[in-house]
Amino acid sequence: MNKGYLCLVLHSHLPFVRHPEHDDFLEEDWLYEAITETYIPLIWMCEKLMEDGIDFRMTMSLTPTLISMLTDPLLQGRYMRHINSLIELAHKEIERTTWQPQFQRLAIMYVNHFCRSRDTFEKYNRNLVVAFKSFQDAGKIEVITCGATHGYFPLMDVCRDSIKAQLKTAVAHYEKHFGRKPRGIWLPECGYYPGHDEMLREVGIKYFFTDSHGILHGTPRPKYGVFAPVYCKGTGVAAFGRDLESSKQVWSSIEGYPGDYNYREFYRDIGFDLEYEYIKPYIHPDGVRINTGIKYYRITGDTPHKEPYDPGWARETAASHAGNFMFNRQKQVEYLYDMIQRKPIIVSPYDAELYGHWWYEGPQWLDFLIRKLSCDQDTIRMITPSEYLAEHPRLQVITPSMSSWGYKGYSEMWMQGANDWIYRHLHEASYRMSELAHGYPHATGITRRALNQALRELLLAQSSDWAFILGTGTHTAYAVKRTKDHLLQFNRLYEDIKANSVDEEWLEDVESRDNLFPDIDYHYHS
Amino acid sequence: MAMMRRVKEKIKKIIKRPARSKKTAVKPARKKGVTRSQGKHLSAQTQPAPVQKETLGLNEVAIEKTKFSHPQVRRVQRALPQDLPGGYGKDRMILQVRDPWWLHTYWEVTLATWDSLKQRLKDMFHGAKKSLRVYDVSHIVFNGNNAHRYFDIELAHDANNWYIDTGGPGRSWVVDYGLKLANGEFVTIVRSNVVQTPLDGPSWVTDEEWMVPDEMFGRLYGMGFGMGHTSMGKAWQERMKKALFSGILSSPGISSAGSPVKKRAKGRNFWLVVDCELIVYGATEPDAAVTVQGKPIQLRPDGTFTMRYALPDGKQVIPVQATSSDKIEVRTITPVVTRQTHTDIAVKEEPAQDHVAAAV
Repeated sequence: MNKGYLCLVLHSHLPFVRHPEHDDFLEEDWLYEAITETYIPLIWMCEKLMEDGIDFRMTMSLTPTLISMLTDPLLQGRYMRHINSLIELAHKEIERTTWQPQFQRLAIMYVNHFCRSRDTFEKYNRNLVVAFKSFQDAGKIEVITCGATHGYFPLMDVCRDSIKAQLKTAVAHYEKHFGRKPRGIWLPECGYYPGHDEMLREVGIKYFFTDSHGILHGTPRPKYGVFAPVYCKGTGVAAFGRDLESSKQVWSSIEGYPGDYNYREFYRDIGFDLEYEYIKPYIHPDGVRINTGIKYYRITGDTPHKEPYDPGWARETAASHAGNFMFNRQKQVEYLYDMIQRKPIIVSPYDAELYGHWWYEGPQWLDFLIRKLSCDQDTIRMITPSEYLAEHPRLQVITPSMSSWGYKGYSEMWMQGANDWIYRHLHEASYRMSELAHGYPHATGITRRALNQALRELLLAQSSDWAFILGTGTHTAYAVKRTKDHLLQFNRLYEDIKANSVDEEWLEDVESRDNLFPDIDYHYHS
Repeated sequence: MAMMRRVKEKIKKIIKRPARSKKTAVKPARKKGVTRSQGKHLSAQTQPAPVQKETLGLNEVAIEKTKFSHPQVRRVQRALPQDLPGGYGKDRMILQVRDPWWLHTYWEVTLATWDSLKQRLKDMFHGAKKSLRVYDVSHIVFNGNNAHRYFDIELAHDANNWYIDTGGPGRSWVVDYGLKLANGEFVTIVRSNVVQTPLDGPSWVTDEEWMVPDEMFGRLYGMGFGMGHTSMGKAWQERMKKALFSGILSSPGISSAGSPVKKRAKGRNFWLVVDCELIVYGATEPDAAVTVQGKPIQLRPDGTFTMRYALPDGKQVIPVQATSSDKIEVRTITPVVTRQTHTDIAVKEEPAQDHVAAAV
């Protein structure tokens, strides 16, 4: 008999970056890197687990923007170009490292990884969403949704119509891709503001997640801390609180696994290390060096000197870290079980892109962890929130506290000197969108198209990613541009609709570039 | 370690560089003056961004440049305005919660409203000070006069947004933007929406049905924050001390993806990396079979070939052998290459260092 549950949650998100007007666009690489390093390795993991008959559970959010990019033919084609180029480079590397066997075996590893990635990509007809759907249909993972473009809800509270639009767009989009409605949601940036559960209930969402203090500082006090979900007062939507102890082991700068010296060093990439003329065809066409994904060193230590990466050592380390993680969860669960006389649920959410992209061995660690949990013990059972709620329908009712999983736990990451200027414009655009939705209840033809596009532009401007990038202070130009471009396009659509003078040619151009959510309905914004 | 570096770097940026970089195009009108409580926060914003070339290098600049370069704009041109409007012609004040202690508000007042105020207040207008009045309206329906308390913040003349230190988590707030007249009267121009700040600790409200002893909740509380099995008092204190919400556990987010930032040595930022590669090239009859170090290689259609190798220290013997297509003639040429690397680091003492040493 198990004494508690582990709910692993991976939040997969990338903002919508798609630039048909450029042949090669740097920020599109975010997607290609994540496909090769995170999404495909996770797909391999799930496939193999199923093949081996391992009964596992994982919860995974796929944001509507990410799904839109993964299913976009232009980006799919560009990914093929990207992976083919990487395969070519890796082949050259095998030859170049003839006299350096310690690197040559890694070059061979990369050729294999990249070729397999391409095979997998083609096996699913270039549409990786299909893979995740099949794992969900098999009952192994639960795919949840997110705000349509990852807008940060607490700073949209003054225009709730926009939150509704984020949710309704997301739910409709999910339904189209997964053939059923989403049961749960990962609130963008885990950002909860009291009362927003009402809008979740309206779109049929049964549960969401908060950071620890969202539950712990809720009113009244949560009897079981974060170790049981609660129902939100007045709506009955369930909230699951993040367990920080299990988070720390993976995220923490001090105790986190990914910093182990045997793991692959992220910052040493041949895109930066190798001679310019040689690497030039594989970096940005403007000659700017970028990461290629081929990295030969391990972290080694807190020193600039790096030793060659050893996949065997790294694998052993990942296995031992998985064992350590499981041991700690077992102790935690046993202790809690005795204390609260009830089976605790440990909710461990992570950015999916942490696995593989940042922490190269992350998918291996996850694989080891799932196998060990499934085969080596029975204290802990992996569970999805839906299963938990079905088995434990009686929960305490509280009002969770405003919270996020960002810097300092609230809204500061998205509201500080570097980015607070955006809200004046975003909110005005929201009010204008509501005005349009109410003012044109039965629009048809080109006006309808313009209204729908206006909503797309508004949603795109609301992505929390732009505010986040502005807040970190690096590479802010692109984030500024995206915020402004979408707002300016929105404002023009607003004016044109009001003046009844929509320029069809221009509208077509905007539609062709910002082409996500083809079935969007501007009525969502009301 | 890599994780730590990344997070540290990010935090450093968040803390040290809230200001927009000079390259950033958007510069809305911003507050100039600062209140006492705001001083540190705002002055950091108005300073020019420190140049961070030591960690970000030239790559950052170059990459940013490429982001801005939009070579062929083939789309239909009806020029959009270059920048967002400075205002939207509405009297409005919006109040938002940043965290349990701080609020942020921005406002817009139209020229027409200013004109009518001028007419109404006549001479009093010119001596009036633009101010915020912050009302604590917890648990009441605010009618303008029944706030539990309020406090005023005098603003810089051209401020259009402000961070407000409420000092009061778990309370509801409304803010007025207005004029404080010489006689002390406050004239409201715009009023904000109501917001509620979250608690910064556990609620004191317990519910009867799900009551939990303080001691047990304390332990759960500490565990929820990943601080092991401590008692309540300790966990709460520690949370304060360690500043749990320092961002160490926050999501790294997407800007991490594809970050071209490359970390170099600490301390002095000077560094040198040297490596060698060897290019072996040649030509023969296009239909010949060629091997290098015994391994067959591909010729170009014109019979030339190029091999490129990373060259480690030591001696490389590289027999290149070509066999004619009729297999009658075999030619071998064998370059022998030796690489020997010496490293020397010389650091001159800086006069400044002596000075520091002496001071210490």
